Amino acid sequence: MRDAFSKCHPAVNFLFFVGAIGMSVVIQHPAYLLVGLLTGAIYYLLLNGKRGLKTILGLLPVFIILTVINPLLNTLGATPLFYLGSRPYTLEALLYGAVTACMFVAILLWFGCYNKVLTSDKFTCLFGNLIPSISLLLVMVFRMVPNFIRKTQQIIGARKSIGKGISETATTKEKLISGGTVLGALTGWALEGSVVTGDSMRARGYGTAKRSSFMIYRMTWADWILLAVMLTLLGVTIVAACSGQFAAEFVPAIELAPISWGLAAYTCYLLIPPALHIKEAIQWHISRSKI
Amino acid sequence: MKKSNIATLIVFFLLLPVTLFLGSKLPGRGYYITGTAIIIELMIPFFMAFEGRRPQARELVVIAVMCAIAIAGRSAIPIPNFKAIFAIIMLSGIAFGPEAGFMVGAISAFASNFFYGQGAYTPWQMMAYGAGGMLAGFCFANGRLPKKPLTIAVFGFLATILWVGPLLDCSHIFLMVSVINWNSIIAAFVSGFPVNLSQGICTVLVMLLFGRPLLDKLDRIKVKYGMMEDENGL
Repeated sequence: MRDAFSKCHPAVNFLFFVGAIGMSVVIQHPAYLLVGLLTGAIYYLLLNGKRGLKTILGLLPVFIILTVINPLLNTLGATPLFYLGSRPYTLEALLYGAVTACMFVAILLWFGCYNKVLTSDKFTCLFGNLIPSISLLLVMVFRMVPNFIRKTQQIIGARKSIGKGISETATTKEKLISGGTVLGALTGWALEGSVVTGDSMRARGYGTAKRSSFMIYRMTWADWILLAVMLTLLGVTIVAACSGQFAAEFVPAIELAPISWGLAAYTCYLLIPPALHIKEAIQWHISRSKI
Repeated sequence: MKKSNIATLIVFFLLLPVTLFLGSKLPGRGYYITGTAIIIELMIPFFMAFEGRRPQARELVVIAVMCAIAIAGRSAIPIPNFKAIFAIIMLSGIAFGPEAGFMVGAISAFASNFFYGQGAYTPWQMMAYGAGGMLAGFCFANGRLPKKPLTIAVFGFLATILWVGPLLDCSHIFLMVSVINWNSIIAAFVSGFPVNLSQGICTVLVMLLFGRPLLDKLDRIKVKYGMMEDENGL
């Protein structure tokens, strides 16, 4: 089953991720960061299933390393835990390291979701009118990469059949030279083809008039409502941030702003995609059990 | 005045100061957002100039082909962690000029991240790769540097470890280092150095062994079809 949020208009998806990732970079308050981390992890799991769990577990060492490294570089802080030579290893610096690590992992997770939701076709659909030549360039690259990888395999196969293949035990030098020859053959073939493609495009009238673009996505009323809800929640969060609710100081002493309504708005905002996903899953389950 | 020149002026005299001013008011890792916004704004004039002069179909396809080869190149060489991407970007810059070099670098960084995953580093990567391609194009335009295997190899090595690599490390500094001071910046550059060095060695090998043959192929296309001849190196 496809993710419900991915079915929305690309503009809605893009704006959501700009908000989610942008906010998580600015925030230093541990409560808000934890919310960002947890919602990101939930959505990542919903999108990726069991494989997602593996990735999240793989991020744990990153989190720990980033946390313990900070006090080594930054010795400010009131409560030293122990001394390394003459340099104190402080609790405040350790907590600050944890906050940095938390932010870093949250951003990685949200970018992981972004990669699943905002596919290349959605990106070119969003920006096709704004930057026509560059999005045409991108579309061509997306088409060529798999094509070239296939061609590379064909060239390697052809070389093998005339006795120029490389075995698994070949030295690095042999592999390098053979790889370079393949790369050269690929380049020659691809460039020759490119000029033919270009001429063919010109013959069919490329560049004679403004390009029109085919939009597969339309803003439905559901998209507009979702957009309105999103922008309201994001606006409330930004107001909360401006009124100092996100403030947090770690060095030299820990000072956290009290938690208030800003957290609720921020949580609701980040829960939009997982909530849509779960709602769709429940509806699907109910309509299936009726059959 | 041309549209792209106006865009450049707007970026430098309006957007950049406003970003810096607003960015200094952001809490937390605001400097990451500021830095990334500046990187993106710096790339706008290049992209505007490219869009503004309505590139010909041939030119578009050739740039697309070079990007795709830069990305797909790793499937040709069966050595793990061997990246020919920098070498191919720089060779495109050398053969087709600074602007094409920038476009090949920026677009291949962006497009390859659709295959390997976008991240907070994407704009920095686009800028760094693009800057590498542009530098190559600029240094070799009008015969400023001879296009000999040794020259391009040395250039590729130095450009990778002193220019492209450190630019990439900047995104690390802004995102992962918790307190920014001279010590942590130097630590980040030092920890990034082995990676940059290995990339540099890959670039040297490709340039030394295949730089000249690949350049010949690119030049041959230019001569055969009479392409991109008005390129005069800025």
